[in-house]
Amino acid sequence: MIRRYHVVAIPIRIVVNNFGDHNPDGRMYVLKENESKVKELVRKNPVTPVELVQPLTIRANAGDIVEILFENQLPFAAGMHFQEADYNVLTSDGANVGLNPSSLADCGETILYQINTTNEGIYFFTDLGNVSSTEEGSNIQGLFGALLVERRGSWWTDPETGEALNSGVFADIHHPFLPSFREYAWFFNDEMEVDDLTGNRPINSHTNQEAESFHGVNYRYEPLHNRLRLVREGVVSPEVEGEEVHHDSWVFGDPATPILRGYKGDPAVIRLIHGASKETHVFHYHVHQWPRDPNTLNSEILDAQAISPQSHYNIIPLYGLGSLQGAIGDAIIHCHLYPHFEVGMWGINRIFDTLQDGSQCYPNGIPIAPLQPLPDRPVPPSPTIERPGFPNFIPGKVGCKAPRPPLGIVGGREMTELERNAAVPNARPGAVFVDSCLGNPVVVEFDVSMIELPIVYNKQGWNDPKGRIYVLDKDLDDVLSGKKEPEPLVLHIPAGSCIRMNFTNRLPHVLDGDAFQLVTRTYETGFHIHFVKFDVLVADGASVGWNYDSSVLPGETIRYEWFADTELKAFFFHDHLFPVSHQQHGVFGAGIIQPRFSQFFESRTGEETDHGTQVTVRNPIIPNYRDLSLFIQDFALLFDKDGKPLQPPDFPGSLADPGVFAVNYKNEPLQFRLGEDCDPAYSFSSFVNGDPVTPILRAYEGDPIRIRLLQGAQEESHSFNIHGLKWPRERPSNDTVLQSQQHIGISESFTFEMEIPRAGDYLWAFETEEDIWNGTWGLIRTFDLEVEDLIPLLDRPLPPPRTEPLPIVTGKPPALADPQSTLPPEVAHNAPIRRYRVVAFQTPIIYNSYGDHDPFGIVFALEEDVEDILSGKKNPEPLVLRGNVGDLVEVTLTSRLKFELFPFQDGIHPYPPVKEQAFYPPSLRISLHVNLLDYDVTTSSGDTVGFNPDQTVGLGEEITYRWHVSANVGTCAMWDVADLRNHRSFGTFGAFIAEPRFSTYHDPYTLESVKAGANVIIRNQFFQAAFREFVLIMHDGVRLVDKQGQLIVDPLAGTIPEADPEDLEVDTYDFGSRGFNYRSERLINRFREHPVLRDLFSSKVFGDPATPVFEAYPGDPIFIRLTNPSERRRSHTFHLHGHKWKFDPRELDSNSQSFIGHIVAGDAQDLLIIGGAGGRFNFPGDYMYRSGNIRWDIEQGMWGILRVHDQIQQHLPPLSNE
Amino acid sequence: MSSYYGNYDAVNTMHDEELLKHFQNGIGCRVFILSPSFPFMFIGEILSIVEDALEIFVETTHFAQLENRTWVMHIDNIEVFYIERPGEPRIPELNDLQ
Repeated sequence: MIRRYHVVAIPIRIVVNNFGDHNPDGRMYVLKENESKVKELVRKNPVTPVELVQPLTIRANAGDIVEILFENQLPFAAGMHFQEADYNVLTSDGANVGLNPSSLADCGETILYQINTTNEGIYFFTDLGNVSSTEEGSNIQGLFGALLVERRGSWWTDPETGEALNSGVFADIHHPFLPSFREYAWFFNDEMEVDDLTGNRPINSHTNQEAESFHGVNYRYEPLHNRLRLVREGVVSPEVEGEEVHHDSWVFGDPATPILRGYKGDPAVIRLIHGASKETHVFHYHVHQWPRDPNTLNSEILDAQAISPQSHYNIIPLYGLGSLQGAIGDAIIHCHLYPHFEVGMWGINRIFDTLQDGSQCYPNGIPIAPLQPLPDRPVPPSPTIERPGFPNFIPGKVGCKAPRPPLGIVGGREMTELERNAAVPNARPGAVFVDSCLGNPVVVEFDVSMIELPIVYNKQGWNDPKGRIYVLDKDLDDVLSGKKEPEPLVLHIPAGSCIRMNFTNRLPHVLDGDAFQLVTRTYETGFHIHFVKFDVLVADGASVGWNYDSSVLPGETIRYEWFADTELKAFFFHDHLFPVSHQQHGVFGAGIIQPRFSQFFESRTGEETDHGTQVTVRNPIIPNYRDLSLFIQDFALLFDKDGKPLQPPDFPGSLADPGVFAVNYKNEPLQFRLGEDCDPAYSFSSFVNGDPVTPILRAYEGDPIRIRLLQGAQEESHSFNIHGLKWPRERPSNDTVLQSQQHIGISESFTFEMEIPRAGDYLWAFETEEDIWNGTWGLIRTFDLEVEDLIPLLDRPLPPPRTEPLPIVTGKPPALADPQSTLPPEVAHNAPIRRYRVVAFQTPIIYNSYGDHDPFGIVFALEEDVEDILSGKKNPEPLVLRGNVGDLVEVTLTSRLKFELFPFQDGIHPYPPVKEQAFYPPSLRISLHVNLLDYDVTTSSGDTVGFNPDQTVGLGEEITYRWHVSANVGTCAMWDVADLRNHRSFGTFGAFIAEPRFSTYHDPYTLESVKAGANVIIRNQFFQAAFREFVLIMHDGVRLVDKQGQLIVDPLAGTIPEADPEDLEVDTYDFGSRGFNYRSERLINRFREHPVLRDLFSSKVFGDPATPVFEAYPGDPIFIRLTNPSERRRSHTFHLHGHKWKFDPRELDSNSQSFIGHIVAGDAQDLLIIGGAGGRFNFPGDYMYRSGNIRWDIEQGMWGILRVHDQIQQHLPPLSNE
Repeated sequence: MSSYYGNYDAVNTMHDEELLKHFQNGIGCRVFILSPSFPFMFIGEILSIVEDALEIFVETTHFAQLENRTWVMHIDNIEVFYIERPGEPRIPELNDLQ
């Protein structure tokens, strides 16, 4: 059917909370029918939020045609670009790209868009007429929304009134034969302009400095700094500190941010959307879990999920609201990045157990709005005086902090009569209002304390004098006396266990002040857990909404009860009362729900244990394995051995990226690993520098391992890589793709299962430049012969007795590896051999036609292309090699690097910057590492790591790596590991593409056979078919100069029209220029030539961009190979207009989508375009591919074009002519 | 229908008959079974054979909630099995509280 909406883009004052904070220059989409109403309401309510001011959320059904009449009342050309939709790019792209006619509307004009909604899901829309990242931009100021596409035959109603609904973030969705469900649209947005009541930037009343920038949900935020003012001014509970009551409705009433209301057991969907503009957030939803890909049963289960700008996910909580146990109460939903959480990026899922018909009030007298029960679910009981339902049975006092729970605190109180009426019959400590263990008795009990102690992070004496950690009570003496090294607490528990936790707060009342932080009275603390089943009212380890405060004071013990209903993975735990203040000091750990019947042993001694970051797991049914936990940390507030603070913020209490990085309370900075020769190529070598202090995960050759990857603190994205190993992305699936890199944000938890095929040292690293520079790396050490202090796995052959001594530190670089002496594991004896000769050398790289260039470029190229590049005949492109499944690929690498061609010969590399700058001179050695392929890690991984031989080459040397394409792994990232500081961002990266067997590679224009290149046709003898393959290498951290030779300090140099003076503070990892394939079409160059925002992507005005313009004919099969081998920590979103692909290309049931989120160094993706060029309907035209980060990627040149010709072009032979 | 398919049917019939006989001989023995269907793994005693289905008293599966009860499994839904007969390797006795 055809559905029609008339949408208007309007300027609007957005009041973001009840304190009158507002954006005077907001912009939003609204239905025409609501336009005058919303304008009038805003005029009448200049300092309070107006409900209708929300991101526009409209709905349709799958299979509909949606016609949008778009009217623009903004002072610049604007439009609506729909993700996921099928549409004619010439008329309905909502942009002005390439050679297309503009589908933007000028100020005062209208345009009609026609959208096909083929699949259900989230069709995010935003503007591309004005992509400025400043307050003059559109997306950053709120101009985004979503078309939610439901199953065919659905209709929707207002959850309060039950009446039909045309727009709104909340709706009840109904269907003739499927269950009704609650639908909540949840739009994150960040960096929007916000002023306080006085028209000035908001002030943080704790630091008396300017507050953190806006981070909110649905145009609202509820920052601590506002609520803190009420405390400081004595309006509410003056005895509290602040952070611990931030989310407490007893003190402050409900927040202005969204409250998602439902009844216990209601099916629900949260449409999670990142509207704008910069940060990758982590969405965390207490109590509930959901499949990462709801379309397939083989999906991983999550309860925290990273989300990048302009991307979106369906969050379908398993078992409905309240989860399996049927919890009631307030489950907080928040961005887990603590600075964002503190500044207001949170809301609540409120689960009622009694009927709300509008006759009830919250404890503070505010009426509870009616909530229609879902028509196919039992009507909840009406509230009575004896059983008033949540929250009115809780004995709290308005204006004071929430009460402590009954029963839980040792020596604490019993239940009141109202509580007893509300409680389950077998109410007990930690499980009062729901039977969290579903009738199962407690079988595992832990006694854990939180303590403060100094922690030394490395051999150079970097230390945290105020480390705070969880410790088992039985280990307290050993840890405090120094007999046991502090490490994050990891508990091991068999699945199906009911767990009792007795948690004691042994912290001092006060966290002392220093260069990083102000004195904070962290007088109470809790034990908040993820994943397991629990009673959120009394065991959340938090103080949320109208719930109890389930934390304890110093010296007190509280009992919690949790149920591990099935084998989960590592569940994260941490404090929820003062995490912004002290989680970065070490307040985190994990429980691992292991398979039933497992037993756990210390890997060194063989003693049975129940905790530890490295254990050996025995199981009578499944193969035994090594279990290894890694926690990445940022904001580690460390001092050097002389007491000098490392990377202190501008003022104490600032959350602007203080401190450094670590893993499991340890780090091994590269600046201390130069060795006598001062050559970075040996920084990872244990021969030269000894083993790192960071975790060395130990196993025997052939052992299965499980890596538990977590992030303990505090704000930033990290990129975990293992060199030489790979694992399935969706662990429950046999079909899923393999990966060797994973993005992680705080509170996410991943389990990677794999076997270690061969002995050697494998590098694991959080491998963005600044992370690894500051020491976030370590080893997986695999032995082929027996060692004394590692028990073997009992179901594997015993390792042979040691016949040769273990290697020792020599202080000297190791000998060159001899890859010809070994073969990769499992390679066939007659494998076809494919040979490449690659040279690394320095050459300028021209990034665009405006003369932006890197005069100090370092590239990999095929030997036969070197002369053409050096003579200027060819502008270099990143090296893209290929091999077919089954091939043995031999890559011979030589180095022609010259010291005099490096920009920073004094060893100080100032730009783009990293934290803890230090002497690290450029290496003349170089290597080539590729991920996802198989090789002998001691000869062909391109790393000189641990006690492996040297795999880098210097002048006059050559090495021939042997790689085996063991599986159809698709895109693999390639980069140099010899010098990650002085090489990589100058261009020492590329890609390797694993093709199907029997494939041949051809130039798309001449059809001649080619050896390398980003744009090729792949023909396959077996399939008798061909496809176009476009390789996109997305990279950042580039040091460019303009044609006058002036350094370009991006991102601010590329900001349109010019950088906000208030944005002059840029995080270290945002610095540098960026683009695709050594090219960047920085919009500022175009804007200077023709300062018209709407034309910036137009080839009719500027010609085609310098970034790749890939060409195809409608319906051509196309494969996009996307990778980011280099190098900074800021995550990017990739989006291609008008096309979709499977989230998991191997999984038929997988969700289809038009974006890839949180792309960061090491990522490799395969985008098999559904329907081929032009999308499902094969519409010809120009389709933009780009980053989704309005701040700061698109302006800075991260975009290009996929051109789908409607007529045969002479220069481009069609695939069908072959 | 061609004789090819006729033969094919005959082979399947013989295969099923032998399989059932094998299970019949295992009545009273402990059995370990992997199945593609939830909850995937079963350990228990074969009680009887009803047409082409097994009746098993299941002592262990993946989930404790589904144990200590009689399950009926169609033989086509058994992917892997092992019947513990006297003198042969023992199926482990699994216990949550080792």
